[in-house]
Amino acid sequence: MIRIFTLDEFDPALLKQLTKSLYTAFGVGAEHSGPVTAPHGQQEPYDANKLLEAMPKVSALADDKVLFLTSRKLAPRKLASGEAPTFGLARYSAQRAVVTSVGIKNLADNIKLLARYAMQEIGHTYGLHHCLDPRCAMYPQWTPSYVTGDSTFCTFCRDTVDAKIRTTKS
Amino acid sequence: MPDMNSLAVGDRLVYPNQGLCTVTEIKTEEIAGSKLTFVSLVIIETGAKVKVPKEKLEKNGVRRVSTADDVKKVIDYLKSDSEKASLDWKKRARDNTARLSEGGLIGLAEVVKGLQVLSELRPLPPKEREQYNDARHLFVEELAAAMGVTPADAEDAFDILLFVPGKERPKRSIEEFQGMGEDGDELGMDGDLLGLDGDDGGGGSEESSSDEEKSEDGESEEGGDEDGDGEKKKKPAAAAKAPKLPKGAKPSVMNDLEVTAPAATALAENAPKKRGRPPKPKPELTGPPPPPKKRGRPPKPKPETTEPPPPPKKRGRPPKPK
Repeated sequence: MIRIFTLDEFDPALLKQLTKSLYTAFGVGAEHSGPVTAPHGQQEPYDANKLLEAMPKVSALADDKVLFLTSRKLAPRKLASGEAPTFGLARYSAQRAVVTSVGIKNLADNIKLLARYAMQEIGHTYGLHHCLDPRCAMYPQWTPSYVTGDSTFCTFCRDTVDAKIRTTKS
Repeated sequence: MPDMNSLAVGDRLVYPNQGLCTVTEIKTEEIAGSKLTFVSLVIIETGAKVKVPKEKLEKNGVRRVSTADDVKKVIDYLKSDSEKASLDWKKRARDNTARLSEGGLIGLAEVVKGLQVLSELRPLPPKEREQYNDARHLFVEELAAAMGVTPADAEDAFDILLFVPGKERPKRSIEEFQGMGEDGDELGMDGDLLGLDGDDGGGGSEESSSDEEKSEDGESEEGGDEDGDGEKKKKPAAAAKAPKLPKGAKPSVMNDLEVTAPAATALAENAPKKRGRPPKPKPELTGPPPPPKKRGRPPKPKPETTEPPPPPKKRGRPPKPK
């Protein structure tokens, strides 16, 4: 099950579309599980790593995936080789991920792009890595062609995530 | 890098093709009268337990997690425009397997970058796509442990070098991959697979030297009827190569008028011998051509009889007597 927790206010119709896209992509249930408040001391732009660490416990089963959705900016991460633009972040092969809708113009028309961001982060929680196929949702988000793609996986990522979900269930 | 002699419980090691593992126990056991020191490892990702004799750790390729210097070298390598992956799939597969098992962190980086650059030329086949994913997974895991960051940050740290932000990946051409000291076959197939032998003179391959082509031309001058088609095909290739001669140099190939009998025999002697049975000489035709043979069994000869033919037999049951 994919549980979406909102840190800010979102249109319920949009959230419904997002859950539908995630259900189609992963083949597991997805729902909006309610709002949560950002932990104290977190200011915009959020540090995605600290946010994931500091977020309070939410009710979820062990094999559930938890996606925090925010409309505030996530600060670019400073890494050893440079600065990485951050549209979302996930704990690999773990439970938690965060995605921002900042940078998506006219969210009502571009819910597909938000779904694509969300798919990538949830894909990371299932252990997927970045993909070589520009049409795949696991392609790096900072490439210019990413925003034009559909909210789908390539065959390889689709098979990998299916296998992961099957092994998690059993 | 410290060697395997100074191992302690809790140390993190890298098991080739398996990933990070932790030393859980170092114990000396007596087996068949000899004392052996065993190191128990737990692979972090899967939780699998491995018990290896201490002497065999290095032989199995087990090594310590890379240091910050290694990470710096890897980042420099990823930034550089390194050499392209081999187009010969057998060589590539052999190299990549060796790098994954004993190449260390830089070996993993080479596999990831090599296959990624190759994917800019053409999509990877499923087996290599899987190998790419495995290499990426091991690379991310070790890089995260070496840098002391989360795997997400480790992956993005090298992906912003491979997929530059704000830029699309370049499209590669086959020319960039050629000239790597190999045959440069587009399909990645060896000559052996295609059935082309280098020493087969009659092959007429494109790679044959100009001298060989000359001799083939000489041979085709006096060749039988069989080679007519082949000759027609070879001529444009020879004509295409003709302008490559240096300025002022006379072409050494004689044309039809210049060929004299001794020269032709000399050319024929120099020409490589054809393999296989020579063609049968055709008989000279004197009369009109015979009519084409009818296929199938010949019809039976009809018996000559004077009696009228018997009436045809009535079929079915004979009528009941009244």
